[in-house]
Amino acid sequence: MKVITTTGVTKVYNPDKIPVQALSGVDLRIEQGEFTAIVGPSGSGKTTLLNIIGGLDRPTSGDVDIGGEDIDAMSDNKLIDFRKNHIGFVFQAYNLIPVLTARENVEFVMLLQNRPKKERRERAEELLRAVGLEDKMDKRPAELSGGQQQRVAIARALAPKPNFILADEPTANLDSVSTANLLDIMARLNREEDITFVFSTHDQRVIDRARRVITLVDGKVASDEVRGGGGKM
Amino acid sequence: MIPIMAWRNIWRNTTRSLVVIGAVAIGIWAAISLSGFAAGMMKSYINNSVQHIISHIQVHHPGFLEEYDVEYALRDAPAVEQLIRSEPGVKAVSVRSLSSAMISSAKGARGVRVKGIVPGDEARVNALDEKIREGEYLSDEMKNPLLISTDLAEKLNVKLRSKVVLTFQDMEGEITAAAFRIAGLFDTGNNPFDEAHVFVRRDDLNRLLEPANSSSYDIPPGALAHEIALMAGDVRQVDAIAESLQKKLPGLDVQTYRQLSPDLELYEGQMTTVSIIYLAIIMLALVFGIINTMLMAVLERIKELGMLMAIGMNKPRVFRMIMLEAVLLGAVAMPAGMLLGYLTIAYIGANGIDLSMYGDTMEEFGMSNIIYFEIEPVVYWQVAIGVFLTAVLASVYPAWKAIKLRPVEALHKI
Repeated sequence: MKVITTTGVTKVYNPDKIPVQALSGVDLRIEQGEFTAIVGPSGSGKTTLLNIIGGLDRPTSGDVDIGGEDIDAMSDNKLIDFRKNHIGFVFQAYNLIPVLTARENVEFVMLLQNRPKKERRERAEELLRAVGLEDKMDKRPAELSGGQQQRVAIARALAPKPNFILADEPTANLDSVSTANLLDIMARLNREEDITFVFSTHDQRVIDRARRVITLVDGKVASDEVRGGGGKM
Repeated sequence: MIPIMAWRNIWRNTTRSLVVIGAVAIGIWAAISLSGFAAGMMKSYINNSVQHIISHIQVHHPGFLEEYDVEYALRDAPAVEQLIRSEPGVKAVSVRSLSSAMISSAKGARGVRVKGIVPGDEARVNALDEKIREGEYLSDEMKNPLLISTDLAEKLNVKLRSKVVLTFQDMEGEITAAAFRIAGLFDTGNNPFDEAHVFVRRDDLNRLLEPANSSSYDIPPGALAHEIALMAGDVRQVDAIAESLQKKLPGLDVQTYRQLSPDLELYEGQMTTVSIIYLAIIMLALVFGIINTMLMAVLERIKELGMLMAIGMNKPRVFRMIMLEAVLLGAVAMPAGMLLGYLTIAYIGANGIDLSMYGDTMEEFGMSNIIYFEIEPVVYWQVAIGVFLTAVLASVYPAWKAIKLRPVEALHKI
């Protein structure tokens, strides 16, 4: 079972000039299969925490352990490999590769994993069907709506069969129909494939669906509420 | 998929990519044209020298070229001539008697070298008959005919049919003078040569140079000769012919045009140096143009590159992708530049470029006013690959910059 553990994680930006304390001593344990929202006001450290547990950023002090691996000890390139194989990201601004089609965007990460072409193609199509985009596979991001782009982003995040999907404000730019749709897809994948989802969000619609809500205030965990099922759906 | 991405990335900003492609193509074109121009100039200079003045190979008595004294005549010139004519690969042979002289007209006098030639033979070696601008080539009809260049005629204020007097030392050291009549005015296109040389019939000159008692020099009457010039059928055989002749004529100096005129080699070397300097300048300008563009292409994609690294694209792959973009830009530009270069060389190679608008400067330096570009085929590839590599090298810095990005910072760039 893959677990994310943070122990005494602090993050200080600009330590030499004007220090900004983004996180101060965060201890967390996120189990596989959770559907967890990290909430809190702007500047409370949600995105910083998500970046750190996703290995995109390194803590100023404290430890981050993902599935038994200490990511602090990894070199930059090893960390990139680790992210590629274990963590899927969904960004607020979708961040698809603009020059690739929906199918190619999903295939891309599997290409980085050196998976055979046939497998890449089949899985990309399967995932795009799962997020309801079977008729948009050959469209480029610019030809898709925001909701559709975010669904491609989810399919892309799932493609490498990660243990965790970290989503930074995934619904911030979406209307309610798209949001509901997206949450349904993510909840189903969480349930059926036991994929861990961790969101940072302001969005009440997301918070309502989460099984565990971690509230950050001023870089500290202010509350950690588990709603029946230990954070799992 | 990464090549596809790189290719599509190029065309995200069509204008910018076309500017880079244009810059690289024009760089290649300029470099090829410049090489063509340099080679054309060099060829023109060498051809002028070889064809009008030096010929491919000359045979002299050792010491003649140092002292230019009429005494250093070829012993048994008819036999030497016969031997040279029978050498395979020799196309034309001209036997000359030479003397330094003073040419005087009513207006003035100048020092010149008098070349006593056999008109038909000389014409075959250096096409002197085709360079007659006024009057006629040397013939048997006139008594003591002389060819003088248009330039020298102007300086001496003489015209066609004017009489001039040549004064020189004969083989016994006696001062002798004779009147010659100007039969024709020539212009080889090489001013320094034209002003310093006149042509007369060899028989006429020999009659004046040979001592009354020629047996004291064991040269039969009329056989005096100082120089045998020859043209090979193929310039590439010159060295081989010279070597073979030297073996057969151990007592004489057999020299190729390069040995006779070391300035040709110097000039060739200088031309190469100058074109390398120009190429370096072109490439340097190109390097900064490409660095600038590729850097812009990287900087405006910081967020996207951060995302690529976030989702697992490692640094070597990012580096390769940026480099590949540069390679693809170069690969589009290369054939375009080569084609432009080829068309330029082909057109100017056939039609020539007339530099006479800059006055007679070119002729004063012994080149023709019309330069025909030409280039060895291998130069196309050398230039194109050189510029291509420059373009690729120029992308190293932007690509390096790209992999120095930290994904989390890059992602938060707007």
